[in-house]
Amino acid sequence: MSCSPFDLRDYYFQELAENERRVTEVHVKTCAHCREELDRLRGTEAALLTLPDEEIPQRIGFVSDPVFEPSAFRRGWESLWGSASRLGFASAAMLSVALMVFAFIRPVPQIGAPAPAIDRTALEAGFSGRVNEAVGKAVAQSEARQERRTQELLAAAEKRHELETQAMMVRVQEYLEVEKKRLNTLILASNDAGNPAANPNGDAR
Amino acid sequence: MILRAVEDADLIRKARRGDVEAYNLLISRWERRVYNYLLRIVANREDALDLSQDVFLKAYQNLRKLDDPARFAPWLYRIAHNEAYSLFRKRRPQGETGEFQPETIEGEAAPGGNAVFPIELTLAVSSALGKLSADQRETVILKIYQGFKFEEIAGIVAAPVSTVKSRLYTALDLLKAELAPVKARGVT
Repeated sequence: MSCSPFDLRDYYFQELAENERRVTEVHVKTCAHCREELDRLRGTEAALLTLPDEEIPQRIGFVSDPVFEPSAFRRGWESLWGSASRLGFASAAMLSVALMVFAFIRPVPQIGAPAPAIDRTALEAGFSGRVNEAVGKAVAQSEARQERRTQELLAAAEKRHELETQAMMVRVQEYLEVEKKRLNTLILASNDAGNPAANPNGDAR
Repeated sequence: MILRAVEDADLIRKARRGDVEAYNLLISRWERRVYNYLLRIVANREDALDLSQDVFLKAYQNLRKLDDPARFAPWLYRIAHNEAYSLFRKRRPQGETGEFQPETIEGEAAPGGNAVFPIELTLAVSSALGKLSADQRETVILKIYQGFKFEEIAGIVAAPVSTVKSRLYTALDLLKAELAPVKARGVT
């Protein structure tokens, strides 16, 4: 187990940050154990490097053939599509151009120019006409409703009056019948009193 | 180093404009490294050469998609990694789910066996590398033999940096254990 403040193997492979490297370097100078560990790493690497590189058995090379070479336009197009940054830049450039063209061809509104005149009279006339029409319609509907209600009430009153009149006539008729009977009775009584032969027993009624 | 990077970037720009000669020059700078990377992964010269050709062809076809020419090397190795793993998948027997283990090169103890180096150690290294998992072996190759930074390796193999470090350090521990008896005999 290493006592180094930072990974000794990272130090060996020069993968430490500058300040970490300096701290580890100071430690290694005073630590025999870490120096031994570094020696072991060095030995392993040296052993690995005894395996030499080989020469490539056949050189690699390409031949230019215009038939297979893409055209300049195609190379440019592929270059554009092959790179996100270039594509992004091209998109931004096209957007900028479109904005500038739009800014130039768009009619600029004149600042301070009078606003188009509005025919207030016509507007008011139209508005009043619509209001009057709505009010007239509402009044007509209301009057119709009132008229209908009045007719209904009148019909009901007439009917009630007719019934009352009929009832009164019945009562008058009955009264007249009673009075007529009484009168006949009186007439008969007076006749009897003036003609006793008509009552041989002389009984008064 | 900086001058070389600028020159590579210049060649890439020319190749993008259709300059095949510029691309051939770029290939000549990278073909040996790419070939050896593939050879150590697939452990077969013929396959490594075929894959190298495919890698440079695909790189040429997609060169316009490379946004930053300074990142050409990791980008190229990413293509090589994909090509190698595509071959692994094709070669894997139907139904087998285990990872690909490269075969040893027929007639030779190790790729690049050379009398200049102590043959026993070379054999031992080759054998020890063969015992690693494919992921561990590739990480060792990219770090020790190709010299990429962890971040670049992570981009090539499409794995987090922590995974790359874990693979490398585990592999180095295994290699150290495998090579210890040979080194103890003082071959080096």
